[in-house]
Amino acid sequence: MTETAARPAAPDGADDAVVGPRSSSVPVVPPERLRAKRRADRKRRLTVLLLLSPWIIGFLVFTLYPILNSFYWSFTVKRYGSPARWVGLANYELLFTNDDLLTALGNTAYLAVFGMPVRIGIALLAAALLVRARRGNGVYRTMFYVPSIVPAVASGALFFFLLKEGGPLSSLFGVFGAEAPLWFRDPQWAKPALIMVTTWALGDLMLILLAGLVDIPRSLYEAAELDGAGRWARFRHVTLPMISPVIFFIVLTGLIGVLQSFDQAYVFSQGVREGRLTGEPGGSLLTYAMLQLRLFQDGRIGFASAMAWVMFLITFVITMVMLATRRRWVHTATEEWA
Amino acid sequence: MSRTRRMLGLVGQHSVLIGLAIIFALPFFFMLLQSVTPLEEAKTTALWPSTFDLGNYTEVFDRVPLARYIRNTLLVCVLVVTGTVVSCVPVAYAFSHMRWRGRGVVFVLVLSTMMLPFQVLFVSQYEIFSNLGWLNTILPLVVPSFFANAFSIFLLRQFFLTLPTETIDAARADGAGEFQILTRIVVPMAKPGIMAVAIFQFLFAWSDFFGPNIYLSDESNLTLAVGLVRLNTAAARLGESNLTMAASVIFVMPLVVIFFFAQKIFIEGVTLTGTKG
Repeated sequence: MTETAARPAAPDGADDAVVGPRSSSVPVVPPERLRAKRRADRKRRLTVLLLLSPWIIGFLVFTLYPILNSFYWSFTVKRYGSPARWVGLANYELLFTNDDLLTALGNTAYLAVFGMPVRIGIALLAAALLVRARRGNGVYRTMFYVPSIVPAVASGALFFFLLKEGGPLSSLFGVFGAEAPLWFRDPQWAKPALIMVTTWALGDLMLILLAGLVDIPRSLYEAAELDGAGRWARFRHVTLPMISPVIFFIVLTGLIGVLQSFDQAYVFSQGVREGRLTGEPGGSLLTYAMLQLRLFQDGRIGFASAMAWVMFLITFVITMVMLATRRRWVHTATEEWA
Repeated sequence: MSRTRRMLGLVGQHSVLIGLAIIFALPFFFMLLQSVTPLEEAKTTALWPSTFDLGNYTEVFDRVPLARYIRNTLLVCVLVVTGTVVSCVPVAYAFSHMRWRGRGVVFVLVLSTMMLPFQVLFVSQYEIFSNLGWLNTILPLVVPSFFANAFSIFLLRQFFLTLPTETIDAARADGAGEFQILTRIVVPMAKPGIMAVAIFQFLFAWSDFFGPNIYLSDESNLTLAVGLVRLNTAAARLGESNLTMAASVIFVMPLVVIFFFAQKIFIEGVTLTGTKG
């Protein structure tokens, strides 16, 4: 596709209307001017090609080639430094009978099903309160946002400290008389700990939601208020429908992100037990991306490639299904008005 | 009646906001506190240290080659930022202020690469870099950034599109070449946009763990992110969370400082693209 787009010389000047800078009104031109114009067009195409060249090279070398390569490898047994041996669908068959894979998929699904609603819910609450508060808005916004610039491995290390036995948060539980769970020893509690860190870093979501809330016309709220709608009714019947396109975007990118979640789970489980990426405690932190990295580090390249491709397939299916059913989730009145 | 109700609503709203703000700030507070807690107390459950021990910050430099980590991380960041800006600015210009056949299709192709999970790419990229003899160097982390990335192209294009076309058209009518227009008109006018891309790339390169973790192995080559994880793993065994937290503060502080100087750029960039890379 790249080549057709930036091909240096088109067969004739028929595409001038699209290519030329201001050629919407081309009167009859003498032949020598036409030749000059053609030369200029060729030069323009070369210029475009030159400007695009960093991306074109990068795309071919660091994206397209690796994609095709890993697709091929996913049907082979492959180790670095030795040629790949074709095994057909064996890797994929092996994947779906692998206990670790089911664990990893289950953990990842857990993070999506329980983590995302918590994150989006709190981000929406914060954004909805911020959009109405005039005083101190900037200070609150900064305080909610800053955690999200903390690198994932640093927030992982931080919460590993906060939640460890005798750590500050565990001690706080003690103050309230409750018994603190053993977050990193109890498979039941490790994933909630993971959700806690990612919820702490919800700043990006809050900013996007805030921008969406600011765009809702005040007149809608005033009309609802005149109709006697209370606070909750206004949120339910004005805010939620109007913000639904933004939530849709967040859910879609969030699902794709969860599928690749890695950093904090890695820090947690390495903190518990150094060595192989088993997702301690008890495999409860083994994310899909972590298992794939383990296969890669074990040198099982064909297998790791197959896992990457299944991941890509899941991403693709989620995206397509969500886009196809968009109308069911998203209130579209605004688009009809536009 | 309605006035008191409004007041009550305001009070309720601010109490929830203050409560949330405290919860969000608490982890930072404990991070700073633990980073100055003496070792004997770091191992206990005491919340408040008896003295503030700034010695942790020097101790951690002795324990791990933190100065090397900082140097390596800065080098990676500077090169990644340079590479990204130098390569993405021309591409974004071609997608915003030049018209050519197939532009829309190619742009969709560029954006679609953002959808690709990194996992699909690194397995094969690793072999490329391995064949080039680049393992255990920063080259695999740096060189790809000189070949443009979709996120930065998109962000730059959005900024370029806001520039007045009249100025550019006038320059073209005066016979200025595209490269002249790019370097003399577009780049000076789009400085805030270029700054945003530079900051986001810095942030990304500074924070990245996955790439450095698979490509770097020697202690002296590590970046801060990888160094911190290794320190955390080792310190967890020894109960030295005070050292981990001191290193975390050193790791996080530059980003917080950058954020406070460039708040506006952050907020615009995030709301424009939905993420910071």
